[in-house]
Amino acid sequence: MSELARALADLRAADEESFGGKSTSLGELIAGAIPVPPGFAVSTAAFEAFLATDGLGERVAAALAGLDPDDVAAVGRVSGEIALAMRRTPVPDAVAAEVGRHYEALAAASQKRQPPVAVRSSARGEDSAEATFAGQQETYLWVRGADGACEAIRGCWISLYSPEAISYRARMASEAGPPAMGVAVQLMVDAAVSGVMFTCSPLTGDPSVVAINASWGLGLGVVGGEVTPDDFLLSKVSREVLRSTIADKHVEYVPDPGGRGTHRVAVEESRRTAPCLDDRQLGALVETARNVERHFGARQDVEWAIARTGEFPQNLFVLQSRPVTATAKAGSEAVADRTGLDTMSLVLGTFGVTPRKD
Amino acid sequence: MTTTTTSAFPSPLSIATPEGCEGWEEMYPYYALLSEDRREADEGRLWFWNSMHFPEPMSAFDVVAIDGPYYALANWQNRVFAIPPAMGIDYRIVNGYVFITPNAVTDPELIGERARYFGERAGYYFGHWDELYGRWREKMNALIAEMTALEVPELATYEEDAVAFEDRDTAFVRVLDAYNRALRMHEQMWQHHFEFLLLGYGAYLTFSDFCKSALPEIPDQHIAQMVSGIDVLLFRPDTELRHLARLAREAGVDASFSNGRSPQEIVAELSQSEAGRGWLEALEAVKDPWFNMGSGDGFYHHHRSWLDDPSIPFSAISGHIDALAEGRDTERPTEHLAAERNRLAEEYGALLDEQARGTFNELLGLSRTVFPYVEEHKFFCEYWFQSRFFNKIREFGGLLATHGFLADGEDVFQLSRHEVGEALEELCLTWAHGGPPRGPHHWPPIVARRRALLERLKEWTPPPAMGTMPTAAINDPISVMLWGITPERLQSWAGAMHGDSRTLTGAAASPGVVEGLARVVRDVHEITDVQPGEILVSTVTSPAWAPIFPKIRAAVTDIGGIMSHAAIVCREYGLPAVVGTGRATAEIRTGQRLRVDGTTGVVTLLDEEPA
Repeated sequence: MSELARALADLRAADEESFGGKSTSLGELIAGAIPVPPGFAVSTAAFEAFLATDGLGERVAAALAGLDPDDVAAVGRVSGEIALAMRRTPVPDAVAAEVGRHYEALAAASQKRQPPVAVRSSARGEDSAEATFAGQQETYLWVRGADGACEAIRGCWISLYSPEAISYRARMASEAGPPAMGVAVQLMVDAAVSGVMFTCSPLTGDPSVVAINASWGLGLGVVGGEVTPDDFLLSKVSREVLRSTIADKHVEYVPDPGGRGTHRVAVEESRRTAPCLDDRQLGALVETARNVERHFGARQDVEWAIARTGEFPQNLFVLQSRPVTATAKAGSEAVADRTGLDTMSLVLGTFGVTPRKD
Repeated sequence: MTTTTTSAFPSPLSIATPEGCEGWEEMYPYYALLSEDRREADEGRLWFWNSMHFPEPMSAFDVVAIDGPYYALANWQNRVFAIPPAMGIDYRIVNGYVFITPNAVTDPELIGERARYFGERAGYYFGHWDELYGRWREKMNALIAEMTALEVPELATYEEDAVAFEDRDTAFVRVLDAYNRALRMHEQMWQHHFEFLLLGYGAYLTFSDFCKSALPEIPDQHIAQMVSGIDVLLFRPDTELRHLARLAREAGVDASFSNGRSPQEIVAELSQSEAGRGWLEALEAVKDPWFNMGSGDGFYHHHRSWLDDPSIPFSAISGHIDALAEGRDTERPTEHLAAERNRLAEEYGALLDEQARGTFNELLGLSRTVFPYVEEHKFFCEYWFQSRFFNKIREFGGLLATHGFLADGEDVFQLSRHEVGEALEELCLTWAHGGPPRGPHHWPPIVARRRALLERLKEWTPPPAMGTMPTAAINDPISVMLWGITPERLQSWAGAMHGDSRTLTGAAASPGVVEGLARVVRDVHEITDVQPGEILVSTVTSPAWAPIFPKIRAAVTDIGGIMSHAAIVCREYGLPAVVGTGRATAEIRTGQRLRVDGTTGVVTLLDEEPA
């Protein structure tokens, strides 16, 4: 039988085919000595094993056969049928055993009986827009126990058959057979502050700065756009804060008091308009951004969190990192105009002499 | 450019004479005054107060320090290098203050013609920079030596034997010759001053523009830090003071420098002991040339050198002694500065792609080649030469006073350079023929009237600009280089004249935020009033003020750019600085509480009135 699960630390980019992009990029970050919460990855083979259980794969294929992707009602009905069928199919014993073994290893490492974990889809390919349409962006936070993890993993698999994902794949004529997807399981970070950062200016593409958005609590608020985050622009070169805008951060996400899941609470008055990061934390984030960028050799969009417990800076974690694709290249035209010229023509330009083209 | 700001500044001809200052025009040349015959031309242009160089009203003689630089600047700019879009700087004096405007070239054909001259001539200078700069230093040293040696003859009852027996010129010829020679040398100094300045600033600005296009978020400070020199001659005088402070402690004579003592008292006490005499010898050893450092910018006769007025260096020495006593390191961290300079350049270079990095490195190299001149010329020209020149004019003043034409030699600066020549001519004539001179009756009342006028004019605060805001953007490279006058800056001044005066904005010259009490300094003589922990508010700060930077917490100026020496000094001392606010000295009062944010370039006035 193919490998069903592996520790994140042992994954590299080459494993993407078997484990999906998110898990392997976390493995790469660990290899680059970037602080990532420990965890493990469930392979695409585990999903295949699930489909092989009780003829589930055949039933799914039969339900999808001849479906008109534009018939919204029919797609919705089929999606519901598949979800029900999948929910009634047990996670294969071999998969559950591997998840259990890795979960216990995490528990032992974190010295907690049932440490909370985050369970996320790990799609193949880097194109996040496609992954979103394909329903491969499911996330379960604050999941406890090996059983809970298995349930969340099945939830990720089920999300592959959301109505949107079904019609998206149906329109992609080239897509043959069932989709393949891995799942990443990581220890939860109980974030006091979290956010995202770009290793360049998102507006101008200037590579000499790090742009940081940050808000109180777990990262859902910033990522989901529910909170206007504090906005910081720092020089990579000097670590100075070049600009900052402190926002009114009215809500935050915290772990559910029951120990499972998260919920949204109002931020008390005194913290709402206070900066959620200090200079030391900003400095550490810039350092981390530079390390991530250096490791991947490209501009990155990094999700991070600073835990409520633990010593700074050991409590700063990178949750994920993706290449930046959609920014302007820094003043590219102006630079191109200038780099084509010799030094003297540039100096003459300063004095109002337009260079002759010959 | 919005239409609401086109009438933001007053018409030059609408500016009223302050009460009691009627007749101020008599101190200045006819061509420096506003007049009906040039109304249309003068109202149609934008004039800004050059508070960077001329923060105080001009005395009649000090007009030499307007004409000299503007002859020279315009000659190199317009007639030698033919900088394509810009001729020279025009000026007017209003209520004693100097307003300037650039004369633009707009005809594309003419710009093209000038570009051909410019390319050839500027290219030659950039291509032979080190060699030409080496010659420049020789020329300047020779000029300073000649000015120092220039003899102001005495008018003796009988001419010396050499006149009778050896064909020597008679005294009247030698007096008038020496005076004319002094004026010519002053003009020559300004000629040398501007020979490299425009090209030097231009090379720097090219690098700066390139950095900003490739790295749009790069702070101006980092650009300046990558270029500015470490072993700059201009820092030497202050470095010598730090050494003297350490020496005083080592020799155990530091107690002599206690606060409030005059240099004379300190020297008198030191000369009583062997250790003290040893220290005085060390002082003598560094005086030439380092005490030729100026206490001002050399544009006023009262800007003296440290040799003439030792109160500034002595006050700095006692400041450094106090710092040493508190265990603070007073050495300039040159190694750290050099390492930081190279680290910035390497890191920014590494962020660029290969082609851009090539251009970056070449422009950085050129900027570093030209920058020693940009930083050092001030020591030779504005400080060393100018203090010698004004002292020479004092000698002519002394001659006039000896013969009763003036009550005091210092009064010579209340006469224009032409009037001084006229007075010397009459003195030579009446001394020769022995008849009654008219000068002793004619000049003293003029001097008295002008002294009173200047005192009153000092109370007046000029607007930052007057005339018409140009509808097209001001893109005069010289105004940008020398004064930091950009369209954005003009807009912010225009806004400040009509809007909220609780905050002032300027260029973020040195990062950090502090609050403290303001000390407004408009005259260089007031800098000894600055108390430890105050925020310096001045029209402009110059490197001559370096000794007070260890005392202050932040600096705010009316005018100046990110690469001004003051900005560099603030960064070295880690002090927040906001420069080019336009109106800081007009809006802020000594004792008012301020917040200075050198990271964003905003100054906030926290008190209504001084505490």
